[in-house]
Parts: sequence; C-alpha cells; structure tokens
Amino acid sequence: MGEVRASFFWVISSLAVPLTLAGQNAPANQYVGGEVCRKCHPNVWLNFYKNPHYKSVASGTEAPDKTGCEGCHGPGQAHVQASGGKATIRAFSVMEPKQVIDACLACHSRDLSKANIRRSSHTLAGVACSDCHSIHRSPIPKFLLAKEQRDVCYGCHAPVRSQFSMPFKHRVNEGFMQCTDCHNPHGAPAATWRMGARPRMVEHALANEEPCLKCHSDKRGPFVFEHPSVRVDGCETCHNPHGSTNAKLLRRPVVFTVCLECHNGAGAFGRQGDGIRTQSASHNMADPRYQNCTACHVRIHGSNADPLFLR
Amino acid sequence: MRRTVFLILASLGPLAGQQTVTPTAATVGPPRGTEIGNYNVMNSFETGYRFRSVGGDLGKYRSDVNFGNGIRLLGSRLTVNSKDGHGSLFDEIVLSTQGLGNDPYQFSSLRIQKNGLYRYDLLWRLSDYFNPALPLAGGLHRMDTERRMQDHDLALLPQSPVRLLLGYTRNSQDGAALTTVQSFSAGDVSPVFADIRRIRNEYRLGGEAELFGMKLHVVRGWDDFKEDTPFTLAPGTAGTSSPFTTFRRNEPYHGTTPWWRVHLRGENKYWAAAGHFTYAIGRRDFIFDEAAVGTDRFGSERNRQVLVAGDGRRPVTSGNVTLSFFPTDNLTISNHTAFHNTRMEGDSVYRELNNATASGPYLFFNFLGIRSITNTTDATLRVSKWLGLYGGYYYSTRRIRSVEQVEIDGVPQRLPASQDNRLQSGLAGIRLNFARSLTVSLDAEVGRADRPFFPISERDYHGFNARVRYKSKSFALSASARTNYNTNSVSLSSHSSRGRNYSVDGSWTPRDWFSVDGGYSKLHLDTASGIAYFVDFELIQGERSIYVSNIHAANLGVRFGLGKRADVYTGYSHVEDTGDGRVNPFIGSGARPDPFVPAQTFPLAFRSPLARLSVRLHGNLRWNAGYQHYNYREDFFGRQSYRAHTGYTSVLWSF
Repeated sequence: MGEVRASFFWVISSLAVPLTLAGQNAPANQYVGGEVCRKCHPNVWLNFYKNPHYKSVASGTEAPDKTGCEGCHGPGQAHVQASGGKATIRAFSVMEPKQVIDACLACHSRDLSKANIRRSSHTLAGVACSDCHSIHRSPIPKFLLAKEQRDVCYGCHAPVRSQFSMPFKHRVNEGFMQCTDCHNPHGAPAATWRMGARPRMVEHALANEEPCLKCHSDKRGPFVFEHPSVRVDGCETCHNPHGSTNAKLLRRPVVFTVCLECHNGAGAFGRQGDGIRTQSASHNMADPRYQNCTACHVRIHGSNADPLFLR
Repeated sequence: MRRTVFLILASLGPLAGQQTVTPTAATVGPPRGTEIGNYNVMNSFETGYRFRSVGGDLGKYRSDVNFGNGIRLLGSRLTVNSKDGHGSLFDEIVLSTQGLGNDPYQFSSLRIQKNGLYRYDLLWRLSDYFNPALPLAGGLHRMDTERRMQDHDLALLPQSPVRLLLGYTRNSQDGAALTTVQSFSAGDVSPVFADIRRIRNEYRLGGEAELFGMKLHVVRGWDDFKEDTPFTLAPGTAGTSSPFTTFRRNEPYHGTTPWWRVHLRGENKYWAAAGHFTYAIGRRDFIFDEAAVGTDRFGSERNRQVLVAGDGRRPVTSGNVTLSFFPTDNLTISNHTAFHNTRMEGDSVYRELNNATASGPYLFFNFLGIRSITNTTDATLRVSKWLGLYGGYYYSTRRIRSVEQVEIDGVPQRLPASQDNRLQSGLAGIRLNFARSLTVSLDAEVGRADRPFFPISERDYHGFNARVRYKSKSFALSASARTNYNTNSVSLSSHSSRGRNYSVDGSWTPRDWFSVDGGYSKLHLDTASGIAYFVDFELIQGERSIYVSNIHAANLGVRFGLGKRADVYTGYSHVEDTGDGRVNPFIGSGARPDPFVPAQTFPLAFRSPLARLSVRLHGNLRWNAGYQHYNYREDFFGRQSYRAHTGYTSVLWSF
C-alpha cells in the first residue's frame, strides 16, 4: 500500500511541478526580440527567412519563447547587456547533449519519428541533435542536415561506408536511397523480428515489419507457405543489407551454404523443435545440379503453390 | 612552391571518394540568390553527356555500376523562398533532382509549402536493376527491370493544433526476367521467361491533434498490391534445349492491406510518455495455372497441368509504450514495452492433372503465428562534465505456433507445434569527454537466448564497442573497434560467428579551397556451422561449413580550388577481400564434395579511382569533366571480372 501511495505521489508531483515551474518562467521583458539579435549577428539573420524555423516568425502569433532567435536560444537580455558571450545565453555549442535534446523537443516532440529519442542508441552514446543538424549553415534546406545525409552518417559509421562501397550494395552512394529509408536516427521501437533486443535503430515498415518490405513489396506476402526465416529472424538471416562482396547481398558466396547452415536437422530448432529439416536424400551434393538451391526452389521468400517453394 | 608540391601530391596520391563522380559538387550563380518580387530564387542545372567503355563481364558491370552513355540532366537544385514568409501561393519551393534522362538511378525531391496552410512533399525515384544471371542459381536467373517509387505527403494546417494528413505511395517494378521451373522430375530445371509486372499503391488519410498537452496522431491506410507476371517458354527452345514442347504459367496475385496507426505522446520536464499502436490485416488472393507438355529425363512423354487457388491472410497487431523519467538533469531512465502479434495463415487447393501419376487434389492449410513481448530499460547518467554512464537491460519472450495441414484424397494430416523462446541481454557503457571536442565511448553487451529458432540465430552472444571521436572546426577524426561473437551450440551441431570491425575515418578542411577526407576499415568475419547433406543417398553429418572474410576497405578524397576559377576533386575507393589467405580455392579438399571447400572464402578486389575538374567560365556558368574507373577482379575464378572507364562532361548553369 505504501508503494502505491508513493507512486501516486510521484505521478501527482511530476504533473504539478512543471505547472508550478511554468509560472516561474523568466519575465517576458527578458526577451528582446529578433531585431536586436540582428544588429550583432547580421549574417545569421540575412538568410534566416529561408530557414524552416522562420515560419514561427512569419506567423506573428507565437509567444516570445517559441519564436525567432530566442525561441531556441532563450531570453537575450542578459546576453545583450553583457555584449555577448556564451554564458549569458543558451548556446548549443556548449550545451550538454540532454539539454540540446530538451531544447529541440520543446517544439519537435510532436513528431511521431522522435517517440523513442530518449532511449535511442544515439542518445545513450551522447549524440545530440546538433551533431547531425546545422540550424544556421545547413547546405540541405530540408531537415537542415549538416551535410548530405550519407556523409553525416558515415562520419561516425565508417564500416558502413565500407559496406556501401562493395560491389553489391543498396544504392546509397548513388543517391537512389538514403540511410533513413531503413533507419530512424532518432530511435526506433523494439524490432518485431528476431528477439526484439537488436537491431535498435531500424525504422519499421507499414505493419511494424522490416523496412526491406517497403520497397521489396513482392516479398511481403502473406503467402500460404511462408519461409519462417523471413518472418521469424528477418531478412538478415540470409542477407547483409548494407552491402556485400557476395551476389544478392547474401552472407555467403554460394547459396547452398546459406541454406545448409540452417537446414541441418540438428538440435531443438525449427517449428517442431526437432531441427530444421535436412535436404531430401535425392539431393546429391556431389552433383552440380543440386548445388544451386534456388534454381528449383525459386520462391524461397514464400509461395502460394508449393510448400517446398518450387513454384 | 611547397604548397604547390603538396597540392600535386594530394591530387595524385591514393585519393578518395566512395561516391560517384557525378553530379558535380559546385555552385553557380549569385551566392545569395536572385530577388524576384517578394521571392528569392536560387537555381542550378547540370546538363551533360555520360560515356562508358567496359571490358570483361558487361553483365556484372551492369549489376554493380550500370552507368551508360547519353545525355543527362545530371543534377539540379531550385529553391524559392518568400522573403517575409507571406507568399501568395507558397512560401518555399525546394526541388532537387539527380540523374534524370537515362541514368540507372534517378531521384527527385520536391517540397512546396505555404506557412500555416499546407506542406507538400514528393519523393520520386527510379532504379534500373540488372541481374546478369549470377551463378547463384546456376546462372539461370536474370532480371532487367525498372523499379519506380513515388511518395506524396500533404499536410494541411501544419502549424495548427489540428492537422490533416494525406499521403499516397506507389511502387512498381516491371521488365524482363529469366527464371527457372522444375520440369517433370526433381532436379530437372528449365529456363522460362517472365514479364514482371508488380505494382503497389498505398493511400493514407489521417490527422494530428494536440489536446491537454498530449499529441495524438491517427492515420488510416489502404495498401493494394498486385502481380500479374506471365511465364512463357523461351523462344526456340521448345523440344530442343528444353524438355517442354509447350509451357504456360499464369499466377495473378492480388490483395489489400488496410491498416490503422495510432500514436499518443506527451512530455514535460520530468517525464515523457509515448504510446504507439498499429493494426494491419493483409490478404492476398491468387490463382496459379501451369500447363506443360514435353518429355521427362527418362524419355517418357508427359502432359501436366497444375491448378492452385486460395488466399493468404496476415493480421498484425503491434503496440508499444515508452516511458521516460528525468529525476534529475543528469539522469534519464527509459522503459519500453512492445507487443507484436502476427498470424499468418493461408489455404490452397492444389490439383495436378498428370498423365503419369494422375494425382488427386491436395488441400493445404498453413499457419504460422509469432507473438513477442519485449521489455527494455535504458538509463544514462551524466556523473560529471567529463564522465557519463549508460546501460540497459532487455528481456523478450516469443511464442511461435504453427500448423501444417494437408489433406490428400480426403485423408487429413495435421502437424501442430508450439514453442517459447526467451532472451535476456544487458548493455553497459561509459562515455568520457576529455575535452569538448574529444569523446571516448566504450560499451559491452551480453545476451543469452534459451531456445533460438535457427541454428545460426543469436544464442550466447557478446559484443564490445569502442569509439573515439575528435572534432574541431576544421578537423574531425573518429576511430572505432567493434566485436560481435555468437555461439549457438547444441548436441550434434555447433555454430560460431566472430565478427571484428576496426575503422578510422577523418576529414580536414584547413582552408575554404582545400579539404581532404579519408578512412580505412577492416571487416573480419569467420563462421563455422554444422551442416548435414546427402551424397549418393548417404547422409553426411558432422561436417562444418566454414566461411572466412577479411575485407580491407579504404577511401580518400581531396578537393582543392585553383583560385576562384576551378575546382579539382580526386578520389579513390578500394575494397578488397583477402579471404582466408589461400591461393587455390580447392586447397584442403578431402573426402568432402568439392563445392564446400571453395565456398569457404571468396577473395576479390573492387577499386574505383575518380577525378573531376570544374572550371568557372562565368558567374552563372561552369564547365565540368570527370572520369571514374571501376576495376572488379575475382581472384579464384575471374569469370565475372571487368574494367570500366566511365566519364562525363557537362555544363552547370544558373539563370
């Protein structure tokens, strides 16, 4: 009972405190308005009408703490009186990652894509909004990224850059795709494939499926005969999604080892818990005819007509 | 003099660029744009001619690179902004394109918005996909298709507390393909042509509202998919190189997936909460009709028709709740609980009319259900200005149920199964900020699953991740090391996987006219998995499938300007898999069939140097030329190696 009471107190206090604090906000006269900022920061102001954040200025109806320079940087009076300085204003270049995220979420929390930002791998690793976005000097008007999206990501994920330089790859470097087609850099919910714990930053497709199915819709089904590996552990059971030295982004250079490493009949695996069934005795692996599994099992992602994916 | 020597060395050295040589990364026109009435306009268009010359395997080149000859709109950018945020019809237009004309990868992005009234986004893409009958299926599968994708999103009243959202997505794939069909007996495959015709349309309608400090997002969607790919016998092969004298297959496959998505979110200084719910019910109806006449491999004349009809259904329910608490400014605790339930079921009637076996109808019913619940708790604590700690505990449980049922000549056979899997894993990390610009983070993760579904699934795994990042105004350097080990052993079978990645990456921009960036990665993977297979009807067990890959990848790029007149960019990208070091693919062949030994490793190299020159002819006009070489080499067999010379010349102009 004591625990219940404590929880109740916690909920009430967490709801009440922000309301109390809201009433203690800095007085409005500490906001000096964007025109004052313009005098010392003309270069920032000159092109600010092209910035997506300018629409709050244009609307003319926003409260001072939600518009213009002071909407992000906080009240500017002390900064003006001190003739500048990062200590007298909210300067993102010296703020802690959590403070940066808090400041941006003050407006951007309504975006669905940021629902998991507090638990994302980026946030855990201390990566904040301003590490990828450049509000005043972005060459990319949409989303205000500091660089082209792939270059932002490659800056920290060098092995991924290597994977996209391989002979078989998704066309990210060619401009056809972007990292955010499959990933949510602001954090994603638990994966609905594999065991949920990993991967952590993969954006879900329509019905919380793997994002591969957004483009490869012919693999989506539903099929009468589903290949369980596609649904249970996901496409990466057989494929390396970024890039590979192997054809079809496969994990192995030939297809029969991809298949046989699961279809070995061993242990407690598979639907019935008696192993993933082995190939039938009619398959003679010494005969090249049987070494190209997908020559016969052409509908390996799922079939409506054949339980062995033959048609 | 020293500077000149440095520039020359920088341009000739092992230079970088994993990217393609086009479009030219240069700007033309007035740097602040042109004023037209109440609008500011910036634009640039790059038009030019591309060429290519390929020696070796052209098909493999088309699979990897695929740039061709011809005139292109290599790239364009247009921005129009109202100067006071009160334009008459719009306040912003942002348009960018790449490769329009005939490039294999084309892209166009458009945003038009009027502040407070609407925001429209369009993304259009085209990919020319070519599969040159790679030897995965005996070289018998070939595809030459185009995939076109477009996404339209319209938000009405985007800045108001109540917003209306509309969307449309279209994804189509069409083109020629060569595939295979198993003919009259097991192991006999014959090529057949397919005219691929697939299309997916999705329509979305929804809204967002802010009520009592909470944000509600509700969207209803309708997804339609249809495939009408006909299959026919390759011309001229009837009765000669094919066992078929006639062959025909049609399998129309149509269906819809209506769905709901609801999202609720709220946040204040001490907590944040988000709930998300999705429900989708997919259904696909199909008819399969295949008729084949010919001769089997024993010389008997065969006449077979296969008719299958039925439908597949997949209702998916998923939801999650994320609760974050901020007891202090330095501590964040997040808990995430996710639920996912998929029920895949389908039934079909299979009827085969066969002059050899005259089999009756088969009635199939298949069910596969996956229900998973995941609970994760993450915490991050900033102990001091230079020290941060983070960690998490993850627990998930999954139930997989299946029913495989078949009824042959009225006699049903039913095989139900059910199993539960659990995973527990933990993550612990430390983050150090020795200075504002230097960050070091180290973390380790351990996971234990009690009953993985597949022999290669994660069972006992652990990973270690270290990262160092230094960033100043003109210089950035990062290095990382990451290991990921997994073992999944049961009686009579074992699987182990060991991955180790090391990388270093940096960029340096000391001057406006000079920048250099480069990186190196070593990606190691070795796996050993138990396998079982048959040779001459004898089951071979206790063997292992081994795979070793050692990939060295490097890239370096240098850009420098020659006064205000010209820009030069040179780059080099190198990927090389040295395999396990062997020089002969069959080294180690013993009693096993040969294919398992050469499949253990696949050394190759893929190199691509490039250079680009851009000369300013006028304030609004630049002339560009570039060259990119591709060299792909397989060490063991080399049947697919190629060298390609590609390049372009273009003008980049603004008006």
